[in-house]
Amino acid sequence: MNKMTKTSNTDVDTMVEQSVEMTSRRDFFRKAAVYSASAVVASNVLSPVKLLAADDENIVHHSKWGTTLGDELNKNPYGLPSPYEHNVVRRTTSLLSSGGDMHAAVSVTPLAELEGIITPNGLFFTRTHNGVAHIDPNKYRLMIHGLVEKPIVLTLEDIKKYPSESVIHFLECPSNGAAEWKGPQFNSVQFVKGMMSCTEWTGVRLKTVLADLGIDPKAKWMLAEGQDGSEMSRTIPTEKALDDAMLVYAMNGEALRAEQGYPVRLFLPGWEANLCVKWLKRLEFGTEPWYCKEETSKYTTLTASGKAIQHFYPLEVNSIVTSPSPEKDWQFLKDGDMVEIQGLAWSGHGKVKAVDLSFDGGKNWVEANLKGLVLTKAWTRFSYMHKFKEGETLLLSSRAVDEAGFVQPTVNQEKKIIGVEGVYHRNSICTWEITKEGEVNNVQMRS
Amino acid sequence: MFKCVHKTVAITVATLVLSSISAFASEAKKDAIDGGMTYTRANGMYSDYFINPQIDKLKLNYGRTPTANELKAWDTDIMPDGTGLPDGEGSVEDGDELYEAQCAICHGDFGAGGVGYPTLTGGDISSLKNQRTSPGMDAPKRTIGTYWPQASTLIWYIRDAMPYAHPKSLTNDELYAITAFLLANNEIEVDGKVQEDEDVLNKKNFMTIKMPNRDGFYPAIDGEDGVENVRKFFTDKKNFGAVGVRCMKDCKDDNATVMRIGIEMKDVVPGYSTARDLPPKKKGGAEHPGKEAYDKSCAVCHKTDAMGAPDVGNKKAWAKVMEKGLDKVIVNAIKGTGAMPPKGGNMELTDDEIKEIVDYMVVNSK
Repeated sequence: MNKMTKTSNTDVDTMVEQSVEMTSRRDFFRKAAVYSASAVVASNVLSPVKLLAADDENIVHHSKWGTTLGDELNKNPYGLPSPYEHNVVRRTTSLLSSGGDMHAAVSVTPLAELEGIITPNGLFFTRTHNGVAHIDPNKYRLMIHGLVEKPIVLTLEDIKKYPSESVIHFLECPSNGAAEWKGPQFNSVQFVKGMMSCTEWTGVRLKTVLADLGIDPKAKWMLAEGQDGSEMSRTIPTEKALDDAMLVYAMNGEALRAEQGYPVRLFLPGWEANLCVKWLKRLEFGTEPWYCKEETSKYTTLTASGKAIQHFYPLEVNSIVTSPSPEKDWQFLKDGDMVEIQGLAWSGHGKVKAVDLSFDGGKNWVEANLKGLVLTKAWTRFSYMHKFKEGETLLLSSRAVDEAGFVQPTVNQEKKIIGVEGVYHRNSICTWEITKEGEVNNVQMRS
Repeated sequence: MFKCVHKTVAITVATLVLSSISAFASEAKKDAIDGGMTYTRANGMYSDYFINPQIDKLKLNYGRTPTANELKAWDTDIMPDGTGLPDGEGSVEDGDELYEAQCAICHGDFGAGGVGYPTLTGGDISSLKNQRTSPGMDAPKRTIGTYWPQASTLIWYIRDAMPYAHPKSLTNDELYAITAFLLANNEIEVDGKVQEDEDVLNKKNFMTIKMPNRDGFYPAIDGEDGVENVRKFFTDKKNFGAVGVRCMKDCKDDNATVMRIGIEMKDVVPGYSTARDLPPKKKGGAEHPGKEAYDKSCAVCHKTDAMGAPDVGNKKAWAKVMEKGLDKVIVNAIKGTGAMPPKGGNMELTDDEIKEIVDYMVVNSK
């Protein structure tokens, strides 16, 4: 190593002589090129092949990254994506905010850019009602009280003392796709279905915490309240609290992001993200529902009858083709190419059982293949190999079926029951139009 | 482990046919309140996850008992039966003044709605049947008077979450006053009549309020059967639109045709791009010292032109503001002007910080 650091003052010929002593020529030349003032000469030595018209320069010539020293390994003590991935980000729009005010707004996940079923923490969709609160974990307290024999206060340390469980579940805003009840508006899978993400959550099952509290059997309801400026609160059936509810403090192996409710959020697998109260402050047990603002004036589904569905908890079976999509079109394909159609299916009611694809706008369907892990209330990938025909127009739809027996409805079927003003819980079949040129457009099949 | 396999064989044989459930998955039953599946925690398994079976047998007794004072401090929700209603009172007239000063900036005069913020008044319950099935039709009006089922929700939410930029800053009297003003403007009766300016709302007459859309929601969640009503609701797919059918060939769909995007929503931030290139170099050096405070305390109104607040970047509007001279603009920012409260409502800001904020806004509006 000492020898190498001295080479920067020697000329190329000397270095070549020295190289005889080196165990690896390549290692030597790479380092020499970096340290030597004559790096340009060195690279000529190393690129004896002349670039011809049919050649790819990226192969024939040495790359910049192969002939220079990279960054120090811990330059970013918290790692960052490659700078070339800077367009893979959450996006938002004034339509999903209060006229451009981004404290009560939504940002959506770039679904077309994701692989597998795990959303990286930085790309997790975000919804806040009064900005992103930053809670000091040392001052964090959770109170559980009401119709219980033994009310308690827990610190973050206390919560982490309980035995933990880790589970992979999606989380979806019931407004996912809400802008499109009356017809397609966004030409982007990120905005059509990006109000959802899927991660491995870690925390304690709420029932483990509640085991020694002595909940009164008359306490059919539980209030969950947040600590942020909006004190986001919701009423939840105690039954769910004692089934699969969790207090989560980690996602994908690290602490919750502030945007996701750091340090602790309630997590109710399969249910509206809005019910999974972030920055959790308080759980109270009682006999009657609380009629919180976000379960009355909002998060209720107004139907054509003029009456609205309240306490509409589960996110119903749903799916979306992410490739192709407006962001991942087929313009690069040649006639006859085999191409993988991929997408995500999910259900708040259980596991995805099957996904069907239609190429003619819903008249005829074939069953796609599921791939990877198939877990309850989690994103499930589907895959289908398709032969691309140049000049062919397709109407590509996906339709998921879940373990509880629910099948994704058509736009018309859903419209018939809910109408077009429901805002929440739109899970009808999505369709991409693939043009003759391989462009992909968001369309709807409806009458 | 052997025991586990033995016990779950019968279940898995049945379920394997249906899906790719692993041979070790615990039992799944369709008996959740929401019409979906629940999974047993048995034999060290929960669905497809291995779990530590010791967990479910323990009572861990962590944490401590809250003090009476702590409970009082946090148990402040206000329920439909009046639980939690604070002492105090406020008149419609006082509420009018408070509303103008603290609420109109976002919600508009008399609750008529601001730029993107919720409309609080107006409309008719019959509008809830409106369906915009073609362009130009009227939307259903979801305001306090036409939609909200409980008055307790209103007063509870205002107390905890409003005013938007500095929640929990209202006294109980102010809270009753603003609530009274909003009820009056929605023509909601208290003590059997729509409230006039001098009428006062308090804990006692609050309980006489009946919200017009009290019965506008289903399933019925009140009383002993509430939870069971919800369960029943989810047993019928037709109730919530879960009516998809798995047809594979020649499926009919009510003469559905292709509907394309009319006017595409392109106003997205950051703008669309799937390019794999290097990000553009950032212009300029360090961040303006006033930016952070601006983002926190001022952007709510000044970013969006809410209630005529000159929006940062709007050269014309700011040229007009600056006609008064910088000193006057700073004084206005500190003391308040028109609809803008002193220091934009954030009294924690020092005068020097206000100066930095004003400079930031001016510099970015040239």
